[in-house]
Amino acid sequence: MATASAGKVRHPKGRAIIPTEQSGLTWLTAFLDSSVGAKVVVALGGIGLALFAIFHMLGNLKIFQGPDALNTYAFFLKHDLGALLWLARGGLLGIFLLHVVLALRLKWRTAAARPVGYAYPGHVQARVAARTMALTGIVVGLFILFHLAHFTFGWVHQAEQDGRLISYLDLRDAHGRHDVYTMVLAGFRTTWIAALYLLAQVALFVHLIHGIPSAFQTFGLQSRRTMEIIRGLGWLTAGVILLGNVLIVTAVWLGWVGTS
Amino acid sequence: MKVTLHIWRQKSPADQGRFVTYSLDQVSPDMSFLEMLDMLNEQLIQQGEEPVAFEHDCREGICGSCAMMINGLAHGPERGTTTCQLHMRSFPDGAEIYVEPWRARAFPILKDLVCDRSALDRIIQAGGYVSVGTGGAPDANCLPVPKTAQDKAMDAAQCIGCGACVAACPNASAMLFLAAKVSHLAHLPQGQPERHERVRKMLAQHDREGFGHCTNIGECEAACPKEISVEHIAQLNRDYIAASLLSLVR
Repeated sequence: MATASAGKVRHPKGRAIIPTEQSGLTWLTAFLDSSVGAKVVVALGGIGLALFAIFHMLGNLKIFQGPDALNTYAFFLKHDLGALLWLARGGLLGIFLLHVVLALRLKWRTAAARPVGYAYPGHVQARVAARTMALTGIVVGLFILFHLAHFTFGWVHQAEQDGRLISYLDLRDAHGRHDVYTMVLAGFRTTWIAALYLLAQVALFVHLIHGIPSAFQTFGLQSRRTMEIIRGLGWLTAGVILLGNVLIVTAVWLGWVGTS
Repeated sequence: MKVTLHIWRQKSPADQGRFVTYSLDQVSPDMSFLEMLDMLNEQLIQQGEEPVAFEHDCREGICGSCAMMINGLAHGPERGTTTCQLHMRSFPDGAEIYVEPWRARAFPILKDLVCDRSALDRIIQAGGYVSVGTGGAPDANCLPVPKTAQDKAMDAAQCIGCGACVAACPNASAMLFLAAKVSHLAHLPQGQPERHERVRKMLAQHDREGFGHCTNIGECEAACPKEISVEHIAQLNRDYIAASLLSLVR
């Protein structure tokens, strides 16, 4: 340690701090380059992704209504939406990339802000969730990739029907639609997959209990008066997402759903 | 009281630096932490050794000089207290105490516990001037300031620029310092003409100095000897967003 404390005393005297040129592009670069501006975009993206997580969970709860309800819903999303599906997918991907790239860029810069750490680290009121945002974020991000590979592309695992292994994407129900219900059952009946999903849900929960109130603070909406409400909203949203998703995975895993 | 001190010793900015352990006997619990260091230094001088360099000035908790990390906490374990106002009675007899300088890229260490905090001055400088009416003294009460705004401005103005927020922040961010300065003037009528430009300039300078970004951890607020709240950071964010959007459509 201690080599970086040998840093030179800097007296930054460079170009004008705020670009005087009036163009939308310089404005955007200045905004995204500032730590608060980048955070605002990360927070907006985070809110968007959290909203998606809520609706994703609500839609998936259809599994409790039986195979027909879930498969109809899946068919609606994939075929009845038409071009809107690609708009939604593209939008989600864009939001996801903005959120991840800008957050990691901030983290990268900040990692350089303290080259030499303390020999005796201490903290007073830092919550675990606050200190592990990057870690939980990376876990959730990797999980999303796994989740896509698992259910969207069917690369990870195969379903067993009448002693034969069938690709997830070739499963068909009585109406000839993609049998999402059987696919979910095949997935979550496999212990390691179910365990992985549950673990990821905990990571998402921890990410959200700090992320949601943090977004409000970044927008400047948090004050002594609204603090409790905003914290509560964070716990509530994160809790509802956790509860719904965990319920789906455990219900399938323990055989409460679909033991026909 | 008897204490064992592990103090960061570094001869110069280019020196490697290391911890040196000193045992100190007959420390009075009524001594301030700095008086205890004075006592150590007197002994070191008598032994012909180099005394520990540390910054101090007013010793009454208002100048913000006495920057040091004591057992991992900026200004030590007492809340809302500077190192000079921290007393040895806050430690148990026979305590092991680690004393380190502030650690941040923007605060290069000069010697022992002394670091260069002029980055904070440059942030204030970047804010520029504040327009003030000169000429005859204005009539009393002709410049109304609401009580709530007054309170907020005064809370923010308590900042003594000690840098404890930077030292305590896991991201080495000076956002609480910056927020206190921005929020202080944002609540007063004198600060209004340059309000939007000021927040953008000061934030740009903050980032440029190599401080980290704020991830709403709240350690700064716990370390601040003036107990400045992180709600001022929300004020800063609000002002920055408004200023940026206004500069776009202007």
